[in-house]
Amino acid sequence: MNSLDPRVNRLPSVGIPGPIQPKAPLDQWGTFEVFVQPKDGKPFQHEGIVHAPDLELSYILAKETFTRRFTCVSLFVVDTRHVYVSPTTEGNISVADVLPTLEQTNDDDFSFEVFMLPKRGKQHIHIGAVLAGLPQEAMRRAIEKNLHQGKVIFNLWVVRSKDIRFTSPEEKELWITLPEKKFRDAAEYKGGEKLKTFLENYSR
Amino acid sequence: MNNEALKELLYKMADDLLILGHRNSEWTGMGPLLEEDIAFSSMAQDKIGQSLALYQLLHQLGEQEPDTVAFMRHARLFHNCLLTELPNAEYDFSLIRHFLFDTADALRWKSLTQSSYTPLAQLAGKVRGELRYHTLHANTWIKRLGSATDESISRLQQSLNELMPYALGIFEPSPFEEELIKRNIFEGERHLQAQWLLGIESVLNATELRLPDLKSLTPAYGGRVGKHSLHLQPLLDEMSEVFKLDPTAEW
Repeated sequence: MNSLDPRVNRLPSVGIPGPIQPKAPLDQWGTFEVFVQPKDGKPFQHEGIVHAPDLELSYILAKETFTRRFTCVSLFVVDTRHVYVSPTTEGNISVADVLPTLEQTNDDDFSFEVFMLPKRGKQHIHIGAVLAGLPQEAMRRAIEKNLHQGKVIFNLWVVRSKDIRFTSPEEKELWITLPEKKFRDAAEYKGGEKLKTFLENYSR
Repeated sequence: MNNEALKELLYKMADDLLILGHRNSEWTGMGPLLEEDIAFSSMAQDKIGQSLALYQLLHQLGEQEPDTVAFMRHARLFHNCLLTELPNAEYDFSLIRHFLFDTADALRWKSLTQSSYTPLAQLAGKVRGELRYHTLHANTWIKRLGSATDESISRLQQSLNELMPYALGIFEPSPFEEELIKRNIFEGERHLQAQWLLGIESVLNATELRLPDLKSLTPAYGGRVGKHSLHLQPLLDEMSEVFKLDPTAEW
């Protein structure tokens, strides 16, 4: 291969020319959901997913994938399979009104973290925690406690707190970084301005 | 006050970070998976940012501009240890180098928070979040892959055996050791090496990996006094290729 990138030219040649073999199914790692807290006092917000071989590595990979540029004070991750999802609604219909009614119990075996979707197309926001036995019960109790503050919400997620990899207080120093690191922001290079100046000089 | 001792310390630290930062950045776009590619590239960028901060301290002590110092010196004027300049091989090699170097680097900066040279002590405080991440990243991967499969264990073990003499080269004694210790600027390489050994042992003990017998190894010295391998000059040529097209260009 001939490339302007010297690293590419150094690559060993791999593979044999010929028909492309199909990829083995399920050869990727599982996904983990990432929640980020942009500032102290602000709620955690769902930011996206990472692929990882386990929960601890998902935390490590999430840190750079989602918090290397913008301000962040904390994050947590959970295996996607541990997220319980309510039905999704549209228009003026709130999830609060469509949750199935359950037999009342006094179970409070687990703490569940609760997340709501305030607007379609936006991300889920952490609104608090409730004690319950089952996820469906946790959703019902979150509504009863009015964690959503009476708003129309379109979806609820609940996750057992014990399934989450949180950031410990000592780990918050992970986000103490050099404030002068403006070179991380593409805007800092002011490419547009420089191009404009160049073109103006060039056209004279 | 004579600053030769201090400058030597700052140069070797800055050069280590610049050269390893560049080496690690060679993985950008080629990492084993997207998320790891991003993390490793981001840490490479942290290292280059830290080297810039150190070159700025040197500039305040009368040395040339950071860009000039980084891009215009010949290999024999660099003080980085040989470990940092070795070319990348497979990812296990880069992970072990990352683990061995960053453990030492984090301990070095930690001790420098107590340095009598205030600008360096202040900088050490500022970079501690980055270092915490770098070591967390390295330790977690080593613990995971160091006890995963026969292949992952034997690959890491082979890289560990190969890189250990070079890692000992991080601690090549400086001609200014005593002066730095006496003036409370830095605790000295010998003390740092002892701390480092405890650090890597505690991680390796949680894995199937075995630390090579240090008595049987000859440390790969020379980097600190400008005696480099054949690999450094090509790295410098490649790193400075664009800069040298027009050294006065504004970026």
